[in-house]
Amino acid sequence: MKVIIKLLTNPTSLIGILLLLAFAVIAISAPWIAPPAENARDPYMIPRDGFSSTPESPSDLHPFGTTEGQYDIFYGVVWGTRTAFRVGVVITIFTAIIGLTVGSISAYYGGWLDEVLMRITEIFQAFPFLLAAITLSSVLQTIYGRGEAGVLMFLAKGLALVTFGSSPFENVDPVQLQILTGMLAIIVFGWMAYARVIRGNILICREEEYAMAARVVGAGDMRILTRHLLPNAIFPVLVIASMNTGAYVLAFAALSFLGLGAQRGYADWGQMINFARNWIPSLADHWHIVTYPGLAVVLFVLAWNLVGDVLRDTLDPRLRGRNGAA
Amino acid sequence: MATYIFRRMLIIPIIIIGVTMLIFAMLSLLTPYERASLYVRDVPKRQGAIEDIIAKYGLDKPIYVQYWHWMVGQKDSDTGEIIGGVLRGDLGFSQIGASSVAEVIGRRMPATAELAVWAAVPMISIGIALGVLSAVHHNKPVDQILRVFSIVGWSMPVFVFGLIALMLFYAKLGWFPPGRLSDWASQIVQSDAFVRYTQMNTVDALLNLRFDIFWDAVKHLVLPVTTLAYLNWAQMLRVTRSSMLDTLRQDYMTTARSKGLTERLVVWRHGLVNALIPVITIGGLVLIALFNGVVITETIFNYPGMGSFLAQAALSLDVISVLGVTLFSSIILVVGNLVVDVLYGLADPRIRLQG
Repeated sequence: MKVIIKLLTNPTSLIGILLLLAFAVIAISAPWIAPPAENARDPYMIPRDGFSSTPESPSDLHPFGTTEGQYDIFYGVVWGTRTAFRVGVVITIFTAIIGLTVGSISAYYGGWLDEVLMRITEIFQAFPFLLAAITLSSVLQTIYGRGEAGVLMFLAKGLALVTFGSSPFENVDPVQLQILTGMLAIIVFGWMAYARVIRGNILICREEEYAMAARVVGAGDMRILTRHLLPNAIFPVLVIASMNTGAYVLAFAALSFLGLGAQRGYADWGQMINFARNWIPSLADHWHIVTYPGLAVVLFVLAWNLVGDVLRDTLDPRLRGRNGAA
Repeated sequence: MATYIFRRMLIIPIIIIGVTMLIFAMLSLLTPYERASLYVRDVPKRQGAIEDIIAKYGLDKPIYVQYWHWMVGQKDSDTGEIIGGVLRGDLGFSQIGASSVAEVIGRRMPATAELAVWAAVPMISIGIALGVLSAVHHNKPVDQILRVFSIVGWSMPVFVFGLIALMLFYAKLGWFPPGRLSDWASQIVQSDAFVRYTQMNTVDALLNLRFDIFWDAVKHLVLPVTTLAYLNWAQMLRVTRSSMLDTLRQDYMTTARSKGLTERLVVWRHGLVNALIPVITIGGLVLIALFNGVVITETIFNYPGMGSFLAQAALSLDVISVLGVTLFSSIILVVGNLVVDVLYGLADPRIRLQG
């Protein structure tokens, strides 16, 4: 409760929260702000107004102008909000779950299991994150591209269920599949920070009296771990989660920008900025193709980071002590 | 100290083997057929050709045999030569580079190294300076402004910053063009009269005493270097700031002040030197940031380095090239982190005097 009050009274985090609320409102009311065409098959595909390659400047019909291929930027920015929330939140949930599991097992059981799990974590961290994500998504796209993917298809369906709410009994829409490969790649290389932090915290909590007390009264491993240790060690995870949601959205936007995330014409900010690459010499005339989707990404990520920044100051007891002393 | 370094050294091979395993695991997600067509320069166009390649390279053998072959190479059953083997530097054949992956890396590495070295200078120096500034003016307006500056930098995608920089300084003002050299300059650089000592344009131009080419190379570097640096100042600033805040509260700082030293001397001489010790650890993060940054930066600025090659290869699903570049970068990163750890051990008396 104290945390929430702090978040609402601190101007920095208040700006962050208001921004997030604004984005949430835009995401929810997207069908009213930018109504899709009546015969649209998929509302996430940006409607086109002709096929001319030259971007059109903002006008009454297209408030933010159009990109190359006449995709409406306003529509894309509005519906892209939904994509950003989905991608950011879903990746955060999965990475946090993986990291929490690895970290808590590692810390609680210790010994050789801890050693092995931590070495594995280190190996995943040995890769430059974006390079690893690019690599894995290009491998996954090759695999998913051939249609048969066995266990991996199962994974994709699970992720599709959480992300798009699509039925696991039907084939995954190829447009969504490409987004899922990017997300999967980020998840595989994005969980390590949680594992390390939660491990460190549980190691501290494990020695506390309440943990000893639980053991004395005969509570089982699982019970001690989930009921006593995790709740006490979990706060820093919130901080990382908030900061990382922004970072994941950035990473996904980067994949999309390179052409590895969302497909051409999908309502995704990174993908829309991708169009600008062909117009670099004349960007001064076509400023709107970078500025509007770019502003959307920056504000969205900024919002998560602002909240995360204040959360960190509030929740991290080490930092709390520091601020008090300073 | 010796034991500390020794312990770090022991872990390195484990990490490197782990990295190769993970890379190989990604590779083996592909079917033997897919790998066969990726591995070989030209797939012969006759029936059963692919099956022959699979048999020849043992792509249907158990996974640990394949991993061994992939690591150390294997004997070609026809010619008796040893083929493949990551340890021998054979990373496979790059379809889009139209030569071996190792060759492509060798060709493109100098450009990336040049960019990275130039970017590291402002990234570290300005990052640290801003961090000190922030700490000295703790909770004052300067600190708040720098905090906003760093969070915004932290939230800015590389490609948005880069494209806006291009929009202003290239499309609008025409000051700093994309690419690596202007046409006239690259003609001179490729001619015989110009000796390419290092393959890095700025260095070579100076060594050849061609200041016009040096100036041209610098003009092409300004925007990508700024892009790489700006986005990482936030991180440098944050670490330096918190380390500096810690240091400023130490007793020896009070002692230095009570000796009557000027505030400037106290902060920069006594404070910064001690505050910089934890900052060394960020060296590893700088490396990661550079690796991640160059992919996008080089792509936007049309800069012919490893990063733009990786992006291109990934887009055309040239998996062998992508895996090769990533493996190469990861190994550099692991070694770089070791160097950082050793430096940290040397700098911090608490660790240096331990063993």
